Formats: sequence, structure tokens, C-alpha cells
Amino acid sequence: MTALVRAEWTKLLTTRVWIGLVAGACVLAGGFAALFTGLAGAEPDGGQPGLPAVGTPQYEEVVFSVAANASVLLLILGIIGMTQEYRHRTATPTFLATPRRGRVVAAKLVAYALAAVPVALLVLAVDVVVVLVYAGARGAAPSLDADNLQTLGAAGLVLVVFAVIGVGVGALLRNQVGAIVGALVYLYVVEPIVSSIGALQPAYKWLPGGAVQAVTSDFQAPDLLEPWQGALLLLGYGLLTALLGTLLAVRRDVV
Amino acid sequence: MRVEVSGLTKSFGTVQAVTDLGFTVEPGSVTGFLGPNGAGKTTTLRMVLGLITPDAGSATFDGVPYAALPDPVGTVGAVLETAFHPARSGRDHLRVYCRAAGLPVSRADEVLTAVGLAAAGRRRAGGYSLGMRQRLALATALLGDPPVLVLDEPANGLDPEGILWLRGFLRHLAHEEGRTVLVSSHLLSEMEQTADRVVIVGAGRLVRQGSITELRSGAQGAGVVLARSPDADRLAAVLADAGLGADRGGDGLVTVTGATPAEVGARAFSAGIELHELRAETTGLEDLYFRLTAGQEQFAATSPAPTPTPTPEGAAR
Repeated sequence: MTALVRAEWTKLLTTRVWIGLVAGACVLAGGFAALFTGLAGAEPDGGQPGLPAVGTPQYEEVVFSVAANASVLLLILGIIGMTQEYRHRTATPTFLATPRRGRVVAAKLVAYALAAVPVALLVLAVDVVVVLVYAGARGAAPSLDADNLQTLGAAGLVLVVFAVIGVGVGALLRNQVGAIVGALVYLYVVEPIVSSIGALQPAYKWLPGGAVQAVTSDFQAPDLLEPWQGALLLLGYGLLTALLGTLLAVRRDVV
Repeated sequence: MRVEVSGLTKSFGTVQAVTDLGFTVEPGSVTGFLGPNGAGKTTTLRMVLGLITPDAGSATFDGVPYAALPDPVGTVGAVLETAFHPARSGRDHLRVYCRAAGLPVSRADEVLTAVGLAAAGRRRAGGYSLGMRQRLALATALLGDPPVLVLDEPANGLDPEGILWLRGFLRHLAHEEGRTVLVSSHLLSEMEQTADRVVIVGAGRLVRQGSITELRSGAQGAGVVLARSPDADRLAAVLADAGLGADRGGDGLVTVTGATPAEVGARAFSAGIELHELRAETTGLEDLYFRLTAGQEQFAATSPAPTPTPTPEGAAR
């Protein structure tokens, strides 16, 4: 298995896809951190509450958990990692070298989970640096106390688990464009609608979006799972799609 | 290592691709897997390699199916369609599979040199010519130094020099190194010069298997012979008298069917007819191949497909 995981890392690092996605993730996390810091404490126009002011614990939670939004890019990284085997037909040499195909999927899950760790640390580092510098300039740089480190840890966990989910989705759908478009439509069309319907709230907490909120929010939210439950649920989604993909899609004929 | 295929059957939807196909491939020889396009060669090879699950039948390497081989890369090397990530260099492609098979990555450079691709190893595979891709596929197959090689149309896209090189390379691997080589092709002429034995398939079924010599003697070597003579009319008459099909063409040409060049030459000599040219247009084996596989092409060319009726723009949604 170690050999297969290393083979996956070699595949990952010998094309440039990862560079773009990691850079995108850093820009996304840093950009949102800057945006929220810049708008922190701004007086709202309408009746809606504005962003919490710099120096408040609420502000610190928002800007440190914003890194979790980069998870979509790790999801895409995982999807590409799996589906490129079909897109470029390297599934043939890959399954020739490892005829027991479940081992290939398992190796990809492990390889992408581990590869996502340094990526997540980098994204968090960008987030932290932007926040410390910008909020510091506005007068109140947050300290990296236990609360804030916990928030950062939760965001990092989401980033890593989304790479695993990406591999699972890719294994299930096989078609690269279809898997990426499907995942984006789900995350940005289906879930927001589901979460906005009051009657569906009890179901929403069991969906990936609800699980992400459970992990990243530490304020009281009666409709959400506990953070650790949310993390397990997310990981479960990744492993379930990978398992279904292995049983239903990956075993199919490679013609 | 011996490859045994027995009773392989596979259909895709309503298309019966392979039916009850069985043959064996012996070590130390090159076995040609011959058949027209669409005869089921690629499907068969992919079933042998565990990439396609057969509906029935089995393929084994010394009794072990591919999926159960403890060291697949070190047992069987396969050249199928050229499949590389276009943005990855040939060398990196090989290193990926070195890692997967637990081989030292230095093996990548060794096989690149063996197939004459060392200079291009660090370039992106997407920029390779067809011939270079075939060489990279062959390099991938050689990574584990396997006793069995399975190659699907490896001569496709190679230039004449490359084909000559491949022919020598495969014969060397089989004859000098005692490996088992199974190579598919739709070109008989190619196989005649490479293979020791051939397995001929048509429409997914076994048509004939045996050594080239056996098949040749079965066909008596008689094919189509072209002869050119200043006295072509008399030559045609003499040959027709001898019971050979002789057609008179322009410019002193006589096309003889069901004969060998030696027969035609002997008839002309004994009749005192001067010959300016005498050559086999097709060998007997080629005639046999055409006869054996005649009408079995899956995509036999008939009349061109009718052009689709243009749809009004409004309806084309």
C-alpha cells in the first residue's frame, strides 16, 4: 500500500494541476480574510447585522474559519486525482499494475488525505498572516489562543476531508467534467436551497454543508451536529462515495 | 511462461464481440494474433489482462489469472492503446509505475534507453509523435522485465525503420531470451515477418491457429502472381492451357491466380517465352487469410452512409 500511495504522490506532483489549485485555495482564503477584515465593524445599511468588529471573538472566529471555504478547491483536486485516470486513459496502465482496483482507490484516499495536510497548513498560514497583518493595522491583531487555534484546526480538518470526498466522488462518477460540475451544482445550488427551506432544516444538518457548519461554528446552533459528529459525517461521505464508486464504477470494464 | 486462453466470450449490449475463443501462447516464440479490424482482438487481449471481465471463459498465465498474479508488472508487460497524461513527461510516467510496482525508479531510465527514447524522456508525453508513444508504451511494458509480453497493434504509427526495429526486438525477446510474446495485428505481411505462430480470428471466433509454415503449406503457397512479357498473349494462353487462371492486362501484363512464381516461371521457360517481370502479388497465406476472414469484418465497407436529413434550425435544440 505504501508503494501505491507513493505512486499517487508521484502522479500528483508530476503535472501542474496541483499548483494552480493550491494557489487558488491560498488566494481564496487570504482574499476572504482580507475582505472580512476590511468590512469588519462596518455599519449596515439595512436592518441586517453587519460583520463583527475587529477585536471581538466573533470577528476572530469568522476570519479564521473562512479558510474552510477553500475546501472546494481541494474537492476539485481529489476529483481530478481520480477522474484523470479515465480522462487520459491511464486507468489502463494503473489497473494493469494493480489489478485489484479497490487498492488503487484506497491508495488515492490515503494519498490525497495526506497530501491535503500540508496544503491545508499553507492555506491556514496565509489566512493567519493576512489576518494578523491587516487586523493589526486596524488596531487589534488577534492572538492565537486556544479558541482561535481550535477554529483554525476545524477549518483545516474540513480542507483535508474535502480532498477525500473529492476522490470518492471521482470514483463514483468517473467523468471529470461531470463530477466537477455536479459537485459545484450540489454545493452552490442544491444545498443553499435546501438550507433555506425551514421544513428541511432537520435534514440539512445531515448533509455535507450542515456537517461543515457543525465543524467550523463553535457558537450555539441547535440545528447542527456536534463538531466531532460533523467531522465524522464528512469523512463518512468521502468513504461512502469511494466505496460505492469502487463497487459500482471502478470495477467496470476498461475498454 | 505459458498463456492459456479458453472459452472466452464477451458481448457488449447486442454486439457479440468474442465467442468461445481459445488458444495457447508458448514461451520462446512470437505468436501473432491476427484478424481484421473489429474481429475482437483488443477485447480479447483486455480480457486476458483482466481489464475487461469476460461473460464466460478464462485466461491464465501458467494457470494463474491476471488479477491473481502476485507480481503483475514483473510477470506480464502489456502494450495497449497509448495512454499517458499529456502533461507528464515520459520519464515521470514510467516512474509512477516503478513506484506502483515497487521497482527502483532508476528502472525508468533503463527502459527508456532500451526503447531508444532516452533523449525525449524529460519532454511532456503530449508532445510525442505516434511512434514515440508506441516506444513509451513498450518501455512501460518492459519495466518489470516480464517473461510475458502482450502487445496490441504495436506497429501502428511506427515508421518503416521503427517497424524493422520492433520486429527484431520482439524476435530477440522471444528467441534469445525465451520470453512469451503475443502480438496482435491486422496486417498479415507484418506477422509473416515477425511471428512464428499465428492465431487467426474473425468475427470474435477462432479461425485457425498454427505455425506460419503449417499455414503456408496448407495454402500451398499459391496466390496471385504478376508476370510481364513481350509475348503476353501467348503466355496467357500457355498458362490457361495448364489450368491456371490467367488474365491479360495492359502493357504486357498477365495476372495469374492460384499459382506460385516458380510455377509460372517454369511454364514460361518450357514454352520458350521471354519474361521481363515475375513476382508474387499476394502470397498463398495472404489469400488464405482473406478467405478465412472474408465477410467477417464487423464494419465491412458497403455503400456510404446516407447523409442525415438537415433539420430546421428551430428544431435543432
